[in-house]
Amino acid sequence: MTALLEIRKLGKRFPARHGREPSPWVIQDLSFSVAEGELLTIVGPSGAGKSTLLNIIAQTDTASAGEIIVDGVPVTTRDPRALKPGIDRRIGYVTQDDNLLPWRSTLDNVLFALEVQDRLDDTGRARAQALIEAVGLAGFERYYPHELSGGMRKRTALIRTLVYDPPVILMDEPFAAVDAQTRTQLQADLLRLWEMGRKTIVFVTHDITEAIALGDRALVLSKQPSRIAAEHIIPIPRPRNVKDIFALPGFAATYEKIRADVQ
Amino acid sequence: MTDATLPIDDAAEPAASRKWLVYGGRVALALALLAGWEYGARALGPLFFAPPLATAERVWTLAVSGQMFADIAATLRVAVAGFAIAGVAGVLLPFLLRRSPRATEAVEPTVMFTMGIPKYALAPWLILWFGIGDMPKLVVVALVVFYIVFITTFAGIRGVDRRLISMARVLGARERTISREIIWTSLLPFFFTGLKIAFPRAVSATIVGEFLVSTQGVGRYIEGARQVSDTTGVFAGVLIALALVLIINALVNAIEAWALRWRPVEREMEL
Amino acid sequence: MTDTPAPAVGAIRWRRLLDRVLVVAVILALWQLASWHVGIYWVSSPWGVTARFAEMTASGELIRHAGYTLAEAAAGTLIAGVPAVLLPLILRRHPVLVAILDPFMIGGYGAPKLAFAPLFIVWFGIGMESKIALVVSVVFFIVYFATLNGVRALDPKLVQTAQILGASERRIARHIVLPAAVPSIFAGFRIAVPYGIAAAVIAELISANRGLGFLVQTGATNFDTTGVFAAIAMATLLVQAAIWLMNALERALLRWRPPVDAWMETGP
Repeated sequence: MTALLEIRKLGKRFPARHGREPSPWVIQDLSFSVAEGELLTIVGPSGAGKSTLLNIIAQTDTASAGEIIVDGVPVTTRDPRALKPGIDRRIGYVTQDDNLLPWRSTLDNVLFALEVQDRLDDTGRARAQALIEAVGLAGFERYYPHELSGGMRKRTALIRTLVYDPPVILMDEPFAAVDAQTRTQLQADLLRLWEMGRKTIVFVTHDITEAIALGDRALVLSKQPSRIAAEHIIPIPRPRNVKDIFALPGFAATYEKIRADVQ
Repeated sequence: MTDATLPIDDAAEPAASRKWLVYGGRVALALALLAGWEYGARALGPLFFAPPLATAERVWTLAVSGQMFADIAATLRVAVAGFAIAGVAGVLLPFLLRRSPRATEAVEPTVMFTMGIPKYALAPWLILWFGIGDMPKLVVVALVVFYIVFITTFAGIRGVDRRLISMARVLGARERTISREIIWTSLLPFFFTGLKIAFPRAVSATIVGEFLVSTQGVGRYIEGARQVSDTTGVFAGVLIALALVLIINALVNAIEAWALRWRPVEREMEL
Repeated sequence: MTDTPAPAVGAIRWRRLLDRVLVVAVILALWQLASWHVGIYWVSSPWGVTARFAEMTASGELIRHAGYTLAEAAAGTLIAGVPAVLLPLILRRHPVLVAILDPFMIGGYGAPKLAFAPLFIVWFGIGMESKIALVVSVVFFIVYFATLNGVRALDPKLVQTAQILGASERRIARHIVLPAAVPSIFAGFRIAVPYGIAAAVIAELISANRGLGFLVQTGATNFDTTGVFAAIAMATLLVQAAIWLMNALERALLRWRPPVDAWMETGP
């Protein structure tokens, strides 16, 4: 499988304040690649610059050094004004906050993605409806975000990205803010949806269990200045039963290895 | 392998050049407005638009002759008196009402309804009672200030964290202590904002009141000039009124900044 | 207050309603007493005002003048409201322009617009135009700052989300910035509209030949306290109707908001 996304020697530090020293490198010499159709998880302690990394890939922030190559084409830029968030919709981004539009209902939030892309037709609507049902939100189409639970909002945010089918999807600890039970359910939902379409996903988390449960490979991010500290191929075969992940063969060993690396 | 395609980015924050652009733009806009004023005076004639120079001259004359200060004093006299009376009432009443939620609820709709009465419209009726003098203006100003201060204080009291009050009650604090310690202190930001808004409003309310009834004051001068088609006088008077209110605004802000300097008040409340 | 057991909820509601009616009744009674004591000339009377109000409404006179005042307020609100909302939206991406305008806008906001009333009358005469001009000056700055605050408070992550989804700048302005700013814009209008109506009345008090303020002035000139109060009552009703309308609109437009406690706000 070809590398759809390649990160080469990425570096990032924040601009110096007027008259002060440039701030230390948040990310330095970070390289990895993602194959097409792969679900890659990235684990790292808090403050390891995980969100910053995703922001740079999604082009909502600039890189200070290094390059990002999407489908063989370098897309990095140093100029904040030349940023193209989402790189023409080729990179989807499910953020930590669900960022749903509070004044739109569930269905309208999902359709929003198609609306702005001028793709709101019957096929699109059908697709949106199918996704709503696939994640168990059927019946809640007319509800406003403040009427939904945290888990339901996460699901809505998730299918909002899935509905327009970007080749690469970045996910920034999307399930961190919900309780453990909901989280396991959301993980199962994600895997189910992923298996239907085999998109390329880069999933960032601080939860080692989650990284093992979801990923084909798990990368370990070091503390600042962040680089890839280790790479682990997850030996657990698919389809995986996320709810019983602890009992599956290979889990314990992989967990220990990764935990050692995260220190 | 070093990356040779793109250099490392050490960009500092956008420079001071933006500040100059903003200052320059403001000066340019002010000059443009002044030029517009001069042009308007020439194009439309002195009856509509007093020329800037003539206006400045008139302001000078008024200042030198002392009339300007006499008028300002007359206006401020009424504004301060109305502000003081209504300010005290507007602060005390919410505290009294706090003791009885039942009374508060009973009174609330009436207060909200009477707030909608255009208070200046009472001026002609007040003239019947008190004649042309300070009283009608005083009453109108007091009414205007009262509602502002009352509503602000009220909102402030309601905004006080109930849990703090419950805690104080559990500790056995008397109602007076609760009022003083918790409510008053939590109230301070609202209180200052209310007063800050109310005093300049009191001054402008006085000036407007003087349009309707008066023998003295800045508003009286403006309206008097208008009635004899003395447009220069109107311009001069309005300018003085404008300056007066803006200066008072600035003074009140300065006082607030000074008072809040050593008080642990977290945020400014905006209305 | 905290020791006695609370009565049933329905009973509380009835008691509260009764309390409120009682307050109004007491005020009216005091008014009537004063009327008997000092005479109708000085304070009119509740019954007198009500009767005159009904009479003037039936004859259409009160409605006609109220219509003028309302028209002035409505025109002024529209003329001021549109640019006041559009300006911050358009200038969102030009912070330098906003910064340049800032001191002028703040000056305009802090300046006592009502004090400009005679100036407007010099320029536009004593007809409706001068009243509309005053309403415009009053409404514009309030709504401008309300909109500006709404636009500034916009969550930049929502904009970013829309960008990642591939939305154009115009789409972002229409679908993200505007809806996010609507609550603030609304709060601005809620304050500005009653203020505008009051401004129209005040301008009419100074100099006019129609409108509710004109009625008040003529009533006073003729020592007709009852007429004065009837006109004031109508003006108050207009203001209250405007407030009620704003609240209803807000409830309809902002259904998507989590319930918020909106306390009393300052008015004119």
